Amino acid sequence: MENVLSILFCLSLFYLSVTSRVKAYVTVLRVQGIILTILLVIPFLSHFSVYGIIIPATMLIVKVIYIPRYINKVILDLDIKRRIEPTIQQMVFLALVIATIVIIFFASQLLSKSTPLNVIPFASGFSAIAIGIYIIMFRKKLIVHVCGFLVLENGIFLFGTSVAFELPMLIELGTLLDVFVVVFLMGIALNRISSTFEGFEVAHLGRLKD
Amino acid sequence: MGLGLLQGIVSVLVVLGLSPLFAGLVNKLKAILTGRIGAPLLQPYYEMQRLFRKETINAIGSSFISRISPLVNLVTMIIAAAMLPVGFWKPVISFDGDIILFAYILGLSRFFQILAAMDIGSSFEGMGAAREATFALFAEPIFFFSFGSISFISGYTSLYMILHSIQHQNISYEVFIVICSISVFMLAVTECSRMPVDDPNTHLELTMIHEVMILDNSGLDLFLYQYSGYIKLFIYAILEISFFYPFSGQGYLLGIIIFITGSLVLATALGVVETIASRYKMKNIPQYLLFATAIGILNLLIYTFTR
Repeated sequence: MENVLSILFCLSLFYLSVTSRVKAYVTVLRVQGIILTILLVIPFLSHFSVYGIIIPATMLIVKVIYIPRYINKVILDLDIKRRIEPTIQQMVFLALVIATIVIIFFASQLLSKSTPLNVIPFASGFSAIAIGIYIIMFRKKLIVHVCGFLVLENGIFLFGTSVAFELPMLIELGTLLDVFVVVFLMGIALNRISSTFEGFEVAHLGRLKD
Repeated sequence: MGLGLLQGIVSVLVVLGLSPLFAGLVNKLKAILTGRIGAPLLQPYYEMQRLFRKETINAIGSSFISRISPLVNLVTMIIAAAMLPVGFWKPVISFDGDIILFAYILGLSRFFQILAAMDIGSSFEGMGAAREATFALFAEPIFFFSFGSISFISGYTSLYMILHSIQHQNISYEVFIVICSISVFMLAVTECSRMPVDDPNTHLELTMIHEVMILDNSGLDLFLYQYSGYIKLFIYAILEISFFYPFSGQGYLLGIIIFITGSLVLATALGVVETIASRYKMKNIPQYLLFATAIGILNLLIYTFTR
């Protein structure tokens, strides 16, 4: 079951690397949130505990409902255009993503010989981290950078679940809070920039002067 | 042995006889979904009958290539159809490694079509041939990645044996079906020049891919090209359906039922996609195909590492 969900996660990553709409990014974030929530809920189906259900519930509220809604609100408020404006061709980006995923799968296969881990969730999480970084590197829009950061964060989560089945709860809650703060700050930053500049592209930040 | 051969011949006849009906069904569904009444279900048969009666005229500058190309097209399609399992019937041609023959038989037909298009010497057709060759380059890996991974799982290299040895108890097989059928659907859409890649109804030479190559053919030649086009669509439909055979539990009757419902569902899916999707820009098509290849690669990776 974990493998199945990880495959779906990988498919969502592929979709991220071909789509050219900002809205699609938000949808993919929502889907990834749902996948991660299911992944966290599965262990509690066999032995239920109220204490353990807190993280999935928080996850559902923050990742599936609150953050996408907030990003959508920012998009609406600031009237951001729907194209993501990549800096390299989408086709090259997709080829890069495929190459990365293949390398990561083989690397994690090698790793799994020395340390006990689930290859597929591990590799999917690892790929999500890499692709999140790629999105931040090769896109112009700030709002897409936020999405890239969130994908990276999802990747860390999946990565964590594959290495150790029970992460210390405090750390997990900490990561969630971290993300929330980042999104919040980005929103504020975008609002500030919008009052000063017209566009929301990183290129404009290069010309920032006091 | 006698019964097996009979079954194979019947299934080839089924493919040859019903392929225009399938194309007619897709067109009818598309018309209904866009709010039109549409042509009758048997329209492809009528059109083929009309073309059959017409005189064949060849371009002055053309050589023997354009004479034999339509025939080669039809014959390769029939051979490809003879390799497909319809329901649970054993196909006529079935041996170890026939997935590779299957891919390159289809490749041969495309090769001859491209040659014939260039042979006529019209600039439009040369352009169409160039496009067809480019997109075929990206489409071929999709077939090999999806069928290569399914052959990895089963351990056989013959289409019939692959589909007959797979059990579906494992949950990962179901996921595999879903993922694989997505990429094969994208392949079918490309190869049969349907909507997101190529519009079969377009009449502007600059935007056509497949249709522009047969622009200068007439009469019997056009009949052969169109008929092989219908057969090709049906072949890809059967390929897509064949992923679902393991659900039938090796029963003959259930296999036939899956075949029929699968065709209907697939025709509906094609109709819906053609209704809601708009055509991609020409430069975005390789990206679309690479996406399908990526899905295939993912499949292969997963099956290498969960074994």
